[in-house]
Amino acid sequence: MRRIYILALILILASLLFFTFYDLLHPTEFETDKTQISDYYIEHGVKETGAINLVTAILFDYRAFDTLGEATVIFIAVSAISLLATKERVLVSNTNFSPIVYQGISFIIPFLYILAFYLIFYGHLSPGGGFTGGVVIATTFVLLKMTFGIRYSREEKSLQRRSLIESCGAIGFIIVGILGIVRGDSFLANGQAGFDLGVAGQLLSAGIIPILNLFTGIKVGSGLAIIFHRLVREE
Amino acid sequence: MQFIYLVVIILFCLGLYTILMNTNLIKIIIGINIMDSSLVLLLVALSYKPAGTAPIIDKPYSVIVDPIPQALALTAIVIGASITALMLLLTIKLHRNYNTLDISEIRRLRG
Repeated sequence: MRRIYILALILILASLLFFTFYDLLHPTEFETDKTQISDYYIEHGVKETGAINLVTAILFDYRAFDTLGEATVIFIAVSAISLLATKERVLVSNTNFSPIVYQGISFIIPFLYILAFYLIFYGHLSPGGGFTGGVVIATTFVLLKMTFGIRYSREEKSLQRRSLIESCGAIGFIIVGILGIVRGDSFLANGQAGFDLGVAGQLLSAGIIPILNLFTGIKVGSGLAIIFHRLVREE
Repeated sequence: MQFIYLVVIILFCLGLYTILMNTNLIKIIIGINIMDSSLVLLLVALSYKPAGTAPIIDKPYSVIVDPIPQALALTAIVIGASITALMLLLTIKLHRNYNTLDISEIRRLRG
């Protein structure tokens, strides 16, 4: 009986979604095109922000305040997980791998760091950015922890250091934002506040965007590493 | 109707079906993640324009896909990851207390 109710509910939802999308794709004559703002970004984005990657330009210039909120979401998740995770022992990955795994992971870690910092520092020029680079940084922690065990990376001390690094990332983001106010414009202002935008397409360009990318990468990387650490605590 | 929107609808409903039909907490989390992925797919599909290039303007292109939904997709991914981590942590705690992942049994244990 329950199964029939659920199937009926899902069928109703599916038909509703179908008609919504049908309307969305066949606009009536009264509706206008709603993409003016993206046309504006495509036309003026490079000139106003100095970043040729428009997604980064939107994330760290036009809607940088949103990105601050997004970083806060990760911070809140880390806080909640740190609060809820008790210090009981969970046994994860007590297996011994073959030497190939240990050697391979040790070999690959520096290259992963190069990839992460490439993604962060070229965020305004190529696909990538602070969030992606941060996830790659967190991946190195995950790999180390899964292969060498948690004891390898000296428990509490490194955890405290990591949460300090995460706070530094958040505070750095806000300080860069306040610099915009100090220079006589709004919070997180970039080109309007007189930061040097440089030549679009070069590594040192786009004003505060690479700095914000760096802080976001630090914050996301350490935040996800803390989350993983809390989830697979092993003593 | 473009095919991709049908895929979005099917994925979303599949995720909801997974949530409603299973009693295993891990499977419910997987269902929520499927719904989340369908929304990211919808955002990417909305930004698509035929024969458009990626929104990286290193030289003048004629057709460029809409960059705003892609920025929003990033938000959706980040929030999805945070929520998944929280759900997994709560699942670990429930399993530690009740030694089961079955939500109907957990309800029975609480009386």
